[in-house]
Parts: sequence; structure tokens; C-alpha cells
Amino acid sequence: MDVLSLDIMVAALRLAMPIALVALGETFSERSGIINIGVEGTALAGALIGATVAFFSGSSVVGLCAALGVGMLLGLIHAVWCVYLRADHVVTGAAINLLVIGLALFLTRVVWGWRGTSAAVPTLNPWILVWGMVGLIVLAQVYLFRTPWGLRLRVVGEHPQAADTAGINVFRTRVAYSVLNGALCGLAGAFLVNNLGRFSVGMVGGRGFIGIAAMVVGNYRPIPAFLAAYLFGFVDALQMRLQDVIPSHFSIMLPYVLTVVVLAGFLGRAHVPAALGKPYIKDQG
Amino acid sequence: MNNRERSLSGEAVRLEGIVKRFSGVTANAGIDLSLNYGEVHGLLGENGAGKTVLMSVLYGLYRPTEGQIYLKDRPVAISSPAVAIRAGIGMVHQHFMLVPRLTVADNMVVGWETLWGPFLDRSRIRRRIGELSEQYGLEVDPSARVEELSVGEQQRVEIVKALYRGAEVLILDEPTATLPEQEVESFFATIRALRDEGKAVVFITHKLREALTICDRVTVLRKGEKVGTVPASQATESQLAEMMVGREVVFEVQRERVASEGQPLLRVEGLTAVDDRGVPAVQEVGFTVHDHEIVGVAGVQGNGQSELVEAICGLSRLRQGQVMVDGEDLSGAPPRKMAQAGLVHIPEDRHRRGLILDFSVGENSILGRQYESPFAIGQVGQSKRAIAGYARELVERFNIVVPGVRTPARALSGGNQQRVILARELDRKPKVIVAAQPTRGLDVAGIEFVWEQLLAMRREGAAILLVSMDLDELLTLADRLVVMYQGKLVGERKPGETDKQEIGLLMLGGAVETA
Repeated sequence: MDVLSLDIMVAALRLAMPIALVALGETFSERSGIINIGVEGTALAGALIGATVAFFSGSSVVGLCAALGVGMLLGLIHAVWCVYLRADHVVTGAAINLLVIGLALFLTRVVWGWRGTSAAVPTLNPWILVWGMVGLIVLAQVYLFRTPWGLRLRVVGEHPQAADTAGINVFRTRVAYSVLNGALCGLAGAFLVNNLGRFSVGMVGGRGFIGIAAMVVGNYRPIPAFLAAYLFGFVDALQMRLQDVIPSHFSIMLPYVLTVVVLAGFLGRAHVPAALGKPYIKDQG
Repeated sequence: MNNRERSLSGEAVRLEGIVKRFSGVTANAGIDLSLNYGEVHGLLGENGAGKTVLMSVLYGLYRPTEGQIYLKDRPVAISSPAVAIRAGIGMVHQHFMLVPRLTVADNMVVGWETLWGPFLDRSRIRRRIGELSEQYGLEVDPSARVEELSVGEQQRVEIVKALYRGAEVLILDEPTATLPEQEVESFFATIRALRDEGKAVVFITHKLREALTICDRVTVLRKGEKVGTVPASQATESQLAEMMVGREVVFEVQRERVASEGQPLLRVEGLTAVDDRGVPAVQEVGFTVHDHEIVGVAGVQGNGQSELVEAICGLSRLRQGQVMVDGEDLSGAPPRKMAQAGLVHIPEDRHRRGLILDFSVGENSILGRQYESPFAIGQVGQSKRAIAGYARELVERFNIVVPGVRTPARALSGGNQQRVILARELDRKPKVIVAAQPTRGLDVAGIEFVWEQLLAMRREGAAILLVSMDLDELLTLADRLVVMYQGKLVGERKPGETDKQEIGLLMLGGAVETA
């Protein structure tokens, strides 16, 4: 068996895509100061709603748009909770994760009569999305470090008072990037549906959390985060081929074991945005 | 050009009847103020007098409850800092608004970027910064990261940042509070250069001497009200002090002669300590403080004073050396043992080390003694009643202004926070007091209080080690002065036999040691 063929490298790109999208979204969100561990649930919501809408409309593109929409909605809810109501970011994110699982079990039952899975839904050529995403990552890197909006975003996450006194609206910035994060997670979910041709409640399977890990390993930079995501995707592709050699119970573990090992090495080395997770409280004016 | 010249003379800003209330508390009660181009206007007042609030209103951070702002005689509504910046108003905040990890250039332009298409035009930005820093003699390196800069350099960055945004009215909020003594003079030169260019400069301070040195006119605020505006050339320190405090202030402290019995209460020998990064910060330092004696430690901030204090007080690990308190060897003993032996510590950072801001005044007043009876009941209990009673007693005896002993320490003014710490520590009847910058950031009344307390302890026989950045304070209080430079003691002087120049030179490592 030729493990390191071009074939597996390309397959890895496809498997890395949802992880990379989440990593990118979370990079934007955390750069603005908002932690969102609800990315796991947001991706699942994107998959669920994307599949449902595609199923009824018969159009994969409409499904995709619906996935984006539900992601943005969840991103907005998270932002409103964290920014204006000063809720704990992690608790809010966890709530989103739980909410979506419940919704998925309910909706699949109502629509298809099965617990947790859908019927087959229309799909489109995944490679359009894959290459589009690679372009998006490069754009994001340039946006973050070469444009005024990227600079403002970074200042908001590092020192919101400084941003405020420089005339930047901290609240609006945080909400906007949280919504963007939601959109990218929703897209990640839609992509998973597109890969499988149907929805299943376990289909995100920790890829949201691995996306956060990829962001940390990439030190809050889009291209390095993408490379980290690609590494996870590669191990995922690898383990599929290894299933003939070692029992699948063990091979399936590989990406998760890798996450733990890699994170242990990188955690603490990454520079976390200084104002991450802290609500910005403006004096009453 | 002519047009511009004309626009930069006369009245820049006029505030009329500015009232600012925060949920019932009046911070500004109808203040009128007029700022001219080409003048340095001092805004003088004690902490909490409303200086910063007034200028925050002008900068758009707060919206005034009542009142009107005029820019060049036109009424304007400044609803946000963005509006203020566009109107040519810049503010350098007391706590710098800079992101440590970003470059100087990025910090300067954020929110006001120079673009090339959709991108930051970093080379043009650097050029513009270079021009500005040359024009005003403000040396800054645009590609350095802010975290690598000293406080003085960061301040220059803040000023150039405001100028980059086209500020013609420049508000400086307590700019000298964090500046080392040596850099104040060159900073004043910068302010004069700005004034001569026609800028209207507002200089917020509570230091009288500085106000008189640098300002053309001085407006004094007290408790949110304007006391008056006077030309600096016709004002005296005591007159301004009276305006500020509302009563006569005695600057000469009564430092009666008390004879030391020559008993060494604190003895430090060959002490070596490292800083947070493990770099040696104190090397082979030794000195003795006797009963009835105040020994001052002078030095530019960051020359090992903080590490010295932490090593003495048992807050950091002692690398080498000995600390003896009243003859007892306590080298490397933990803080609790130190305190039991009679050594107390007034920490330099009262927010981080002196108080737990979210705890009540009562709880803060027994910190370090929480395990003692009657505050503790057995191993796990706590007597709320004993704590509150004790705190109330301290509040009374030390004149602490608090709504109640259950108020969180966070809600107190800086001066009252420091009173809580002093009350707590000094009430333990210590033999040795290690006071690190005990008057930093305090207003006149607060400084007076701390000085009185320290002198009272000296009278009662305590040995006091006083670390301060303020040479005047050291020369006023100390019986002996030692100077720290790069982690070593480089000289010892008696206040009566030296002056600020000599100490200043020693602090910069410039003088030859005369034995």
C-alpha cells in the first residue's frame, strides 16, 4: 500500500476543509476577543439545516446558503450574549452545542422519521468548495495583517480601550466577527453533508473542537492554522487506509490522539489575544 | 499656509457649563474652560476632582449631562472619540492606549490608516512618522514593538500618535506620573515645542511644581467645581495648593530629631535576587536600618528596587544573602513568618499586592491576619462580627472615607485604598516597615497622610525602608539615602549633605563612588 501517494494528499485536503473553516472562523472571533466553543454545535446546525433545506428545495446551493444563514444566526446569538449581556463565553458556547444536538434529534425524527439521520440529499462537486476555501485562507491572512480592518480587529482583541479611544466601535467589531465565525462554521457543516450525501447527528464528531486546536497550533494566523488543519486531515485520511492493517477501533482514534499530543506541545506557546474572553465595559457616557 | 496660521491662534476650545453625572454622583458641576492655541493650560486638582472626566467629555468618551462645547467658536457635539479625532483633538491617557505586541507604526495609525488601495501603506506611514518625530524632536522607531519600549518612549509614541491624527488640541492626562524624574525635563521641552507650533496643550496634573513650571495658565478644580483660572506667572505653590485642597497645606513636615539607639532592626547582607525572567536583578546588596530611622532607596525605576523589596519580604525566592529582623535570621522565610517577626510591607502595586479589590474593606483590613483570633474561629470559621468591628475601628482611627466596611475595596479612591493598607500594616505595631512607593499616584492630602504615618512610626521607634521614585519625598523623609543602579548600591548620602543633582547623577550610574 502506497501511503504517501498524491491521492492521499488530495483526499486529506477534503477532510481538512471543515476543520480549516472552523479554525479560520475561530481565529477571527478570538482575535476580536470572543471565545466560541459553540463552533462544534454551529457546524452541526449548518449540516442539519443545510441538509434539511437541500432535501426540500432539491438544491444543494440553496442548502448551502441556509447553512451559512443558520451559522450566522448562532454567531449573532453568541455575540449578543457575550458582548452585550456579558455572559461567560464558554458557557454560552456549551449551551449552543447542547441546543443543536437536541434540535438535530428532534428535526430528523419529524422530517424523516429516523433518529439522528436524514435521507440522501443533493450534493455538488466538493472541489469547487475546497479550492475556494484555500483561496479564502490566503485572503484571510492578507486581510488580517495587511489591511486596516485586520489591524483594527487585532487591536480590539488585544486592547479594547485603545481601540475605543482610536475611534473604533468595539462592540460592533466583536459582533461582526462572531457572525463571520458562525458563517464559516455553518459552511463547514454544509460541507460535511456534501461529503456524505446525508445528515447524521454524529457527523461533526469533534471537528469543531479540533478546529479550535488547529487555530491554537497555528497561533491565531490563518495560513498556519490551515496547515495544522491539513495535518489533522492528513492523519484522518491515513487512518482510513490503515483500517485494513490495524483494527478500526484504534485507527479512528488517530486524529484525536494527534490533537491531544500536538496541543500539549503548542498550548502555552501561542500568543492568546490579551482581551480574550473579557467583556468590554464602557463607562457610561 | 496663511489660513492655517490664522486658524492656529486665539481660542481653540471653549467649554460652557459642563455637567457630568454618573448615576447620581456629580463629577463635573458646571465647568467653564477656555483653551487657546499656543498655550499650555494646566488642569490642576486632587484625585477625584473631575479633571480626567472633564477632558474625557472633550474627547468624546463621555457625553456631558449638560453644557456645550465650542470649537473655534462653533458649537459642536462630540459624541465619540472618532468625532474628536476628526475635530483635531488628541488625548494621551494616563494608562497608555497601546498594544504591546504591535509595532509603533501600527499602534499609531489604527483607526486612522494611510492606505494604498485596500492595504496599509506601511512605507508611507513610516515616512510620515519620521517627519513628525523630526519636526517635534520626538524620537521614535516606527518598526519597534511597543513592548520593547520604556515608559518614556511609549509616551512619545502616544504623542506622535495624536499628532499623526492631526491633533491641534492635545490633552495630556498626568503625563509625568509614570515618567522617571530624569526624563521629565526633556518631556517639558517637547511640550514647549508643541506649544510654539501653536498647539493648544492641556496638562492634567496634581503636582503643583510641574504646573507652575510648564503651564501658561492654570485652572484649578476641586470636587467637580472650578475654583478659578490663574496665569502661572502670577501664582505660587501655596496659593494653588490652597485652591486645590480648600485649606492651607503645610508642606514642611515636622521631622523632629529622634535619636536612634543604634539598634539594627533590619540587616540585609549580600542579597542577590532575580527578576521574573530569571535575570539577576539585585546583586550583593547589603545595608542596615536602625530603630527610629528611615532609610531611603533612590533609583530609576527598574534598577532592582522591586526585586529587592520582594526578596526582603519573602515574596520571592532569595538567591543568596541574609535578611535579619531584630537579630533573628529570617532569610528566605515566608511572608507570614516575616510579619510575625515584626516586618510589614507596603507594596508598590496596591491593586495587585496590597488589596483584593473585590473583597470588602473589612476583609481587606485583616488580610495576613485572617488566621488569628478573634478573626478566625477554630481552623475554618470566620467571625464576621470581629472583622467588621476591627475594620470600623481602623476606619475611624485612620480617617478612611468609606461608605461602610462591607464596600468592596475597588470602590475606594486611590488615597483611601492606601489608607486601608497602611492602617492594616501599621496597626500590627511593626518593628520594620518596608514601604515601596507608598505615595505613588496619591494627591496632596493622601501624600500628607502617608508621610505623617511614616514619621509617626519612626517616632515610635520603627526602622523604615522607603523605596521611592520621588526624590523630593526621599530628601524630605529619609535620614539616610542609598542609591540603587543596575541592581547594586552605588552610594550612600545624608539628605542634608547632598542635593537632587548629585543623587540624580548617582541614579544614572554617572558618579564616582566617594567612600
